[in-house]
Amino acid sequence: MKSFRLLLFAVVALAQLGLPAGAVWMRSQTLSKGRLWKFRTAPVDPIDAVRGRYVALAFTAEKVPQAEALPPRSTAYAFLKEGSDGFAVVDHLSNTSGHGDNVIKVEPGSWWKGEQHVSFPFDRFWVTEKIAPAAERAYAAGTRPEKENAYVTARVHDGDAALEQLYIDDQPLVEYLRNHPTR
Amino acid sequence: MAESTDLRAIRWLRGQLPKLVAGGVINAQSADAIDRHYSAAAARSTNFGFVILAAIGSALVGAGIILLVAHNWDDFSRTTRCGIAFLPLVVAQILGFFVLLRRNDSPAWRESVAILDVATVGTAIALVSQIFQIQGNFANFLRVWMLLSIPIVYLFRANFGAVAYLIGSAAWVLGKAGWSFHRPGTMFFWVLLLLIIPFYGGMVRRGRAGWGFHVLSVALIVAAAIGLQVTVEFANGAVGAVAFAGFFTTVYLAGMRWQDDGSRSLNVLSLIGGLGIAVTAVVLSFEDIWQVRAGFLTTGSSLEQKMAVTIALLFPAAAIALAAWSFARGKIFYSLAAACFPLVATVARLVAGWGPDSGGSSDRRSPFAASILLNVYALVLGIELMVRGIRAGSVLRANFGLLVIAALALARFFDSDLSFVTRGVGFIVVGAGFLIANLFFFRKRGSA
Repeated sequence: MKSFRLLLFAVVALAQLGLPAGAVWMRSQTLSKGRLWKFRTAPVDPIDAVRGRYVALAFTAEKVPQAEALPPRSTAYAFLKEGSDGFAVVDHLSNTSGHGDNVIKVEPGSWWKGEQHVSFPFDRFWVTEKIAPAAERAYAAGTRPEKENAYVTARVHDGDAALEQLYIDDQPLVEYLRNHPTR
Repeated sequence: MAESTDLRAIRWLRGQLPKLVAGGVINAQSADAIDRHYSAAAARSTNFGFVILAAIGSALVGAGIILLVAHNWDDFSRTTRCGIAFLPLVVAQILGFFVLLRRNDSPAWRESVAILDVATVGTAIALVSQIFQIQGNFANFLRVWMLLSIPIVYLFRANFGAVAYLIGSAAWVLGKAGWSFHRPGTMFFWVLLLLIIPFYGGMVRRGRAGWGFHVLSVALIVAAAIGLQVTVEFANGAVGAVAFAGFFTTVYLAGMRWQDDGSRSLNVLSLIGGLGIAVTAVVLSFEDIWQVRAGFLTTGSSLEQKMAVTIALLFPAAAIALAAWSFARGKIFYSLAAACFPLVATVARLVAGWGPDSGGSSDRRSPFAASILLNVYALVLGIELMVRGIRAGSVLRANFGLLVIAALALARFFDSDLSFVTRGVGFIVVGAGFLIANLFFFRKRGSA
């Protein structure tokens, strides 16, 4: 009975370690092998933005010109290409999956006058509690229409998209906050 | 070992030993043997206190380390942060092996290490998600966390762990349902709840005297009630009245079934069940509640909604089966009026939905008849509870019956367009009824 209990606990302990470790491994693969994309951020609803320990993200590339609306709550895939300014844009949307370093899974939202809104698989950038308020302010200032200087980098590998860094004025967030302590 | 838990009684008994020896009731050897026997029990309890303090101490040290680490968190590399995320979990697991090997007989050790393991699993997942910017919502996080925690409850026979699991499951279903209560996927809650039932069943079999049974019962009832509310909202078929009538009656009947013979006071299940039945009956006596359409399902109901209706209707079915089974065996240990609640609610629901469709936007059929039925029912329930209270010689229970009648009367005063004078007279009558009944009751008890 005792050894059975120990064996069972060993299995449970392995599962408890394995699940987060699996996520770490998959993410590490994407971060080391994936192709780097830059996404220009867009202003977010201020009510949405204040969420404690992360910065809520929205992207200009989430609005895709499309003649017909995609059914909501379906799964769709966005095929990315690099725009002339070096930032990622959605080349086209498709219901069928594709493999490669330019495909991400998206969730279709509303459609309005030939423009399909989709949600990328990353919409929050986790920060520590200490810098969260300052990060929030810096991000809001960086996504104003007259001063667009915020973007994120993400790596895409075999359909998995891993958010890498949030940049403001071409500096990683933590570095930017260190250089601009008063904000 | 129930005897080791009642420290006050042990202290009293050990204090009495010299008097008993002096009085010649027992000899000195017996007194010594009794003293030795109970000193071991007292030592075990001191151990419990020590372990609880040790657990709090180690939690504080852990929190301190986390604060120190958090101060420089952003300066660490991703690998270092990742190592820090896993460290508490690994420590908890090593402690877990130690407890299973060496301290398996100590409830305090088992409870502490189970809570530690459950907490550190959550911490590890949350920190890894944060470090690697892994996206996902709170509900999904909670579900993974709970599924990784439930084996710990069984392996360490941990009551606190079970309560934590139930809180997590209830939080999951609320998070999953969202504000609209109509998001799909919430029926998985019942799988989460079923996973804890064998543990609870084991506890019921082992004994229902300890604090563990009471705390876990309350947690289970509250979690199930939250899940049932989400279920009936999601089902969208006006099954709430029947479902909750069945739910509270099941709880009440189970409580009465497990009532310990020697005890005069009701156990926690009977209490909550009885209270739930009374409150639900008074709420259902309002006419507005019964404005429902005929069927439980609409043509557009999804498979999951059909499942939700079935789950909601399982509770009244269980209550009726429990009552009928005891009735058939000639063991009626419960209030008949309370046991009839699911039947009454079902009839009222059928009556309310019966009749021609008015065709308007508000699908109004015969809510009035249903509310009359529930008014009569609540009155009968109040009277029966009062009579049972008087028979059992319990002032509290007799007054509870009166309270149900008074609540019903109050509900009708506010519900209907009576004049102020009529309402005033009504209040006086209800108040006088309380006074007279109690006077009568105490006089009867005094003369007995």
